[in-house]
Amino acid sequence: MSAVVIVGASHAGVQAAASLRQKGWQEGIVLLSAEGDYPYHRPPLSKAYIAGEKDEEQLLLRAPDFYRDQGIDLRLNEPALSIDPHARQVVTASGRLDYGKLVLATGSKARTLPLPGAEARGIHTLRSIADARHLRSSMQDAENIVIIGGGFIGLEFASTAVKQGKSVVVLEAQERLLTRALPERLSAFIGGYHTAKGAMFRYGALPERYTTTDDGRVSGVQLGDGTTLPADLVLVGVGGIADMALIEPLELKTIAGGIEVDAHGLTSAPDIYALGDVAAFHNAYANGAMRLESVQNAVDQAKSAAEHIAGGNAPLGAVPWFWTDQYDLKVQMAGLPRPGTTELLRGDPESGAFSILQMEGDRLVAAYSVNRAADHMASRKLIAAGQSIDQRMAADIDTPLMKAVAVAAVS
Amino acid sequence: MSEAITIKFETSGGEQIEVQARPGVSVMEAAVMNNVGGIEAECGGACICATCHVYCDNLEDGTVGEMSSEEDDMLDMASAERRPTSRLSCQLRVSEKLKDAVFIIPENQF
Repeated sequence: MSAVVIVGASHAGVQAAASLRQKGWQEGIVLLSAEGDYPYHRPPLSKAYIAGEKDEEQLLLRAPDFYRDQGIDLRLNEPALSIDPHARQVVTASGRLDYGKLVLATGSKARTLPLPGAEARGIHTLRSIADARHLRSSMQDAENIVIIGGGFIGLEFASTAVKQGKSVVVLEAQERLLTRALPERLSAFIGGYHTAKGAMFRYGALPERYTTTDDGRVSGVQLGDGTTLPADLVLVGVGGIADMALIEPLELKTIAGGIEVDAHGLTSAPDIYALGDVAAFHNAYANGAMRLESVQNAVDQAKSAAEHIAGGNAPLGAVPWFWTDQYDLKVQMAGLPRPGTTELLRGDPESGAFSILQMEGDRLVAAYSVNRAADHMASRKLIAAGQSIDQRMAADIDTPLMKAVAVAAVS
Repeated sequence: MSEAITIKFETSGGEQIEVQARPGVSVMEAAVMNNVGGIEAECGGACICATCHVYCDNLEDGTVGEMSSEEDDMLDMASAERRPTSRLSCQLRVSEKLKDAVFIIPENQF
């Protein structure tokens, strides 16, 4: 009667199920998946999995037995087809499921580009393991790869492809990489690093159409200026869109391209929660409403929602953090970019290990670290604490960042 | 396919769980694949969440290889007490050298 039905066996959905049991939830938990594979980690898909360094078993979020042992009714290949909020039921191919609480963890889908020729074979997006399998096998015979979009997935894939000896061109619509996510100095560093490894970049480049072979394979990408770049494989990495296909009858409030939720993951409707990529909320670290497509957000939001469903109270308040691996660069980000911040550089980019700190007055609000795990971890603490920091010490790479906490003047 | 290697996990309650692990996978992955609780590994082995912390009390020095500065930094942030034998299990590769090793799981990972 009061079962929790979770739509989407994503990182958020699986964490919500696991956390509900940890919090002592005794009633049923049904976890619906549109996919046929046991739930898996997505970040390695563009990196270790494509590169052949990890196999599918190594990507699993949990062992298959976990779901049975925890009394989680995981239903693979059983997507939710519709939701009936009046009957409080989720409809699937096998029937109607009653829910006491409904958790929407449908995630996001890859944005596609409706260009002429887009139906040609060899044009990929990357979101699911099925996409990654397809991409991994197509890559073997590919020589010329064009990546549309210089975002995280595009750049991670670029590093994997260059390492395999492919010719790689990255098309970026803006004048620099990751305009919204990274400070300019870091964009320039990452672009320079990729260029030195052999990738080519076209900034301000807008693809107009795909050229194709007689047998329907992609052969190139034609740009607005008339140039055609040869391509036997194209990856379109132009961001994600929240998957809200089912929510219309629920009449939920939406904001910033996602389902509006509060700090417990609760939507505008009682007993309906939304988590992970599909959810948007007012984020104090960004000073605005936004969706966050990250593992950390999925996990922390799922924990807050599970706590709330089980009768507790653990509102989301964690500092957002992200990471990306490209070649031997580990880029870690803490906090969110905000307008009007000043920047401190900690360390020398030439050395390949440095951090960029964004300050609001003397408070740290965001940090971007390249191969500086200690700075990243310290930043997470300092941003959360909202403490004043000594800018001179913070800029000194030889002083641990945690030591840069300004000592209050003794009066 | 090389032969599976027996490694053991010990829960904070003192229970020992023996698992068969493929050489080459990480100790964290061996725990997850075998449904050993208490190894969370939220980041999936990227060495960024410190939720796969273990104590390697019964291992001789050098058996599991040197720790990177990255792992060292992350261990400082681990939720349970850091001890001299603390490691992140995602950074340890299963090999013949780990035969019969016991990895002790801390009481909490976050």
